Amino acid sequence: MSRLAQGGLIDRNAPLTFRFDGRTMPGFAGDTLASALVANGVGLVGRSFKYHRPRGILTAGSEEPNALVTLRAGAKAEPNTRATTAQLFDGLEATSQNRWPSLNLDLLSVNQLAAPLLAAGFYYKTFMWPAAFWERVYEPIIRRAAGLGALSGLPDPDVYDRDHAFCDLLVIGAGPAGLAAALTAGRAGLRVVIADEDWLPGGRLLSDRRLINEAPGHIWAKAAADELASLANVRWLTRTSVFGVYDGREYGAVERLTDHLPNTPARQPRQRLWKIVAKHALLATGAIERPLVFGGNDRPGVMTASAVSTYLNRFAAAPGRRAVVFTTSDSGWDTADDLIEAGVELAAIVDARDAPMNAREPRIRAAGVRILTGAVVADAQGRQLKSVDVRDRDGRSLSIACDLLAVSGGWSPTIGLASHLGARPVWSETIASFVIHQPPPGMTAIGAAAGRFSLAKALADGASEAARIASELGRTATPASPMHAYDEPVAVRPLWHVGAHKTKAFVDFQNDVTDTDVALAAGEGFTSVEHLKRYTTLGMATDQGKTSQLNGLALLAKATGKPIDQAGTILARPPHAPVAIGVLAGHHRDEHFRPARRTPSHDWAVENGASFVDAGQWKRAQWFARPGERDWLETVNREVNAVRAGVGVCDVSTLGKIDVHGPDAATLLDRLYANQISTLAVGKVRYGLMLREDGLVMDDGTVSRLSETRFFVTTTTVNAAKVMQHIDFARQVLWPALDVQACSVTEQWATFAVAGPKSRVLLQNLTPDLDLTNEALPFMGVVQHRWRGVRMRIFRVSFCGELAYEVSVPATLGDGLVRAVFEAGADLGVTAYGTEALGVMRVEKGHPAGAELNGQTTAGDLGLGGLLSRKKDYIGRVLAGRPGLTDPDRPTLVGLRPVAQGARIRAGAHLLPLGAQPAAANDQGYVTSAAYSPTLGRGIALALLQRGPARHGERIIVHDPVRAGDVEAEVCAPVFVDPQGGRARG
Amino acid sequence: MADTVTISEPRSLAVATIMARKGVNEAAIEAAVRLAAPSQVGRSAPPALALIATGPGVWLALTDEPGEAWPDPLEAQLGDLAAVSDQSGSYLVWRIAGPGAGALLQKGVAIDLHPDAFGTGASAVTVIAHMGVILWRPEGAEGFEVAAFRSYARDFEHWLRAQAL
Repeated sequence: MSRLAQGGLIDRNAPLTFRFDGRTMPGFAGDTLASALVANGVGLVGRSFKYHRPRGILTAGSEEPNALVTLRAGAKAEPNTRATTAQLFDGLEATSQNRWPSLNLDLLSVNQLAAPLLAAGFYYKTFMWPAAFWERVYEPIIRRAAGLGALSGLPDPDVYDRDHAFCDLLVIGAGPAGLAAALTAGRAGLRVVIADEDWLPGGRLLSDRRLINEAPGHIWAKAAADELASLANVRWLTRTSVFGVYDGREYGAVERLTDHLPNTPARQPRQRLWKIVAKHALLATGAIERPLVFGGNDRPGVMTASAVSTYLNRFAAAPGRRAVVFTTSDSGWDTADDLIEAGVELAAIVDARDAPMNAREPRIRAAGVRILTGAVVADAQGRQLKSVDVRDRDGRSLSIACDLLAVSGGWSPTIGLASHLGARPVWSETIASFVIHQPPPGMTAIGAAAGRFSLAKALADGASEAARIASELGRTATPASPMHAYDEPVAVRPLWHVGAHKTKAFVDFQNDVTDTDVALAAGEGFTSVEHLKRYTTLGMATDQGKTSQLNGLALLAKATGKPIDQAGTILARPPHAPVAIGVLAGHHRDEHFRPARRTPSHDWAVENGASFVDAGQWKRAQWFARPGERDWLETVNREVNAVRAGVGVCDVSTLGKIDVHGPDAATLLDRLYANQISTLAVGKVRYGLMLREDGLVMDDGTVSRLSETRFFVTTTTVNAAKVMQHIDFARQVLWPALDVQACSVTEQWATFAVAGPKSRVLLQNLTPDLDLTNEALPFMGVVQHRWRGVRMRIFRVSFCGELAYEVSVPATLGDGLVRAVFEAGADLGVTAYGTEALGVMRVEKGHPAGAELNGQTTAGDLGLGGLLSRKKDYIGRVLAGRPGLTDPDRPTLVGLRPVAQGARIRAGAHLLPLGAQPAAANDQGYVTSAAYSPTLGRGIALALLQRGPARHGERIIVHDPVRAGDVEAEVCAPVFVDPQGGRARG
Repeated sequence: MADTVTISEPRSLAVATIMARKGVNEAAIEAAVRLAAPSQVGRSAPPALALIATGPGVWLALTDEPGEAWPDPLEAQLGDLAAVSDQSGSYLVWRIAGPGAGALLQKGVAIDLHPDAFGTGASAVTVIAHMGVILWRPEGAEGFEVAAFRSYARDFEHWLRAQAL
């Protein structure tokens, strides 16, 4: 046991037990998994990514590169959880990763022996040939050997929430600077959101023994947090990581709601995704201590000095029995003092600086600690640390036994978030690190994140920046109650590399990148920092190089002989910390992946056995299978036959519908459609074809004239929104002078196609007082009527080629209408049909639909060239005349009939002349739509074929190498059923 | 959720889109419907007609007392001043009230619903969980009203209930 007898912010009255790799151990409430492991003397926690080297715990925060474990088990397993941030709960179960068969005996650690082969660029150099082997052989093997935790492969049992927050000030981080800022702003009445990844307020104050107003800093932090919690204008988000900064002063954050609980209460969200819009933001994210680069610096037992202080002060857990501190900064001396205070034997302080002046020196020297200045640790020895090899200022080597080495390479401000929108970090000689000079709009870095490391400066910084923001927003900040703190020394002299060493020295722990990898990359010409990064993978692990980036950059600068500020900089990208995909999906998973739109007859269709198909967001009835039908084809054939011989009903409410009103409505429609609309008589319907500005077909539909100034336009289902947008663009931007109004009424009308030779009889039963004779309502006519107290419109249009109507009522009565229609047609054998039968009948009639209106076809290609008006201007007219679109060799719509009666043509197949080689040069077009026609008892298809209309009667090859093979087919007119169109007019 | 929320059953009201003709200003519309045509939300004396501004020169008119042959009377009132399209079939309207109403809706709405930013009489055309909605704080009543397309009713209701857990 390495638990200290007293101290720490743990609750000794709340003992917990947990399991790591099957071993049960004790801990306390207030521990992290890492601190509990430290308290239990567990040094080996994981294996490294590439070499499978034994790894321990390097840090005590979210920057941890080594101690990644899988938390929980089964479907709830959370791989790659940082042990340093996982709050301990009773019964917690964690397992180590990336080892086989066990953590202590990892057979894949033989990779270390092959280390010379695994240097930077190894994969690129070794697995180049044969190329086909990369995907099938090399990559799977590499991925199996080098990896992190594995996903469970089971559905995520948790639910996730999302929320939006709006504030005057977002404070990112609840350390001394952040708390001082939030207090100042909160008291001034600003709307404040303060987000902190820890569960306790205080940040660094929780880890050290610095005083505020002569009391431990964490006591001040607690009081500040209590006051903030009492303010209605402050929202306090604990366990919350701000992971991204976006345009428009938007911030993304994840709040962990139940990750610290043994069991998630039923339906309680596990995590919440926040989108925070903040007028101002203060980056109070503190700083991260850098490791030092020397031999064996990754061995379990080597830890950053600040982490050692955290484990001692916050968690009362000693990471070792006999320690050495290796430092280049004053803060290392603070840790030395902490070690002495905690009663851990401190063997030596090794300070790389020649003559460090530190106030703590007399006390430390008095404790009998050996102080070596101008000295470095060249190598750390032992599988678990046993000793360090120190090279003193005279170059002599000495070995010091220890099981803990606390390293302090200076501090790097945590400014990743500030560079998310492209701001380049700027080198600061004073702190030997990067700071941010031009953060994103509205953001300011304060305290340690701004490179102002002392506690006194952090507090002052927070208070003054918040006061400035308050006054900018017209509020008065009352002077904060005094916060007295020591302006402690924070000097650092960077030591990027210790010089000669015997064993591997790591720069990036998580991706196993060593100092020699950096040198090798530079030697091979990868001297741009961006190339270095990709070639060595430095900084590309899940920790985004939080502990490694600067050390790597410094070594690159050294290798290329440049000063560090000219070696280049790397920008961070969201997410700042790993984010579970589940929280991004939130509500939108499984059947709620996207919202579904249900037609007015949906419930009725369900009752009648419909199978549904997605058409955009719509759920449309695809067919209505009856008991005893063997497959969908039998069902669809029955539905088609019923329409052609009797009467069928299909919900077509999903078609886009637009009201176009106003004195200039006809003028606008003439400009929107390629054919003439203004000549349409009141009470009549016309087919309309819309081109895009580039001359290709955009959409088709019908236009009905309900009065001189009122038109009703329909679109295809998929293009409904696009056409609405197009109309609004035309009337608002292109021709704002026109007096015309338009709005979507797609949802207003429930519309049913009532089709077949018996459709008139059915409708007459439904509306006995309406005259439906050919004279009163001819083909392409529309009448308005009242039905059950509401407006009803009956359009005499036909998509299937039979006598047919489209009947509309407000959607409120849609369900009532479909039931009424079936009552009215019960004696006629009225049959429900779905989109599949609809599709078969339109292929039989040669009507272009989605597959033909594919954004690549002209009106001429679709056999609709005759519609293009020569009497007026319209969108797309000029470009429809360009040579490429009027080329007579363009593939044009034809019908295809397989020569062999039973043969089947599939959409997507290509068309070749008889006897031609199947080569792209001989390709003459392709099949757009294919169907089995029950009317003709054979397969039919629509296709786009070069000079198609001139080739009716010719035989061609339908070439389909990936499916059914080749089929010989005869080219014919695209209208297979009732080519004269007499039935629809009957 | 600590604060209680009441979610009403969705109501099917008489609804219409009013789009002003070229050059017709709000005052003329106001005079015609004998109701302030607000920049955001207005409500007339009985028969209660609510006008929700949904864009420049565009309002959604709602009433639960439509009388005969809606929206013919509204069309007659407006004459040549505006185009009127019946939308009674298009929307269902939910009332979401109670101390937690704002917090519940805020989970789905990416605009600020704080009373200082979205007070009584405010309206917005926005999106909740990828479903288009029109959202307003009615005059003379507590809470929010949300109009969503009828085709989304089931999924919108599901979203509401999921947030209210």
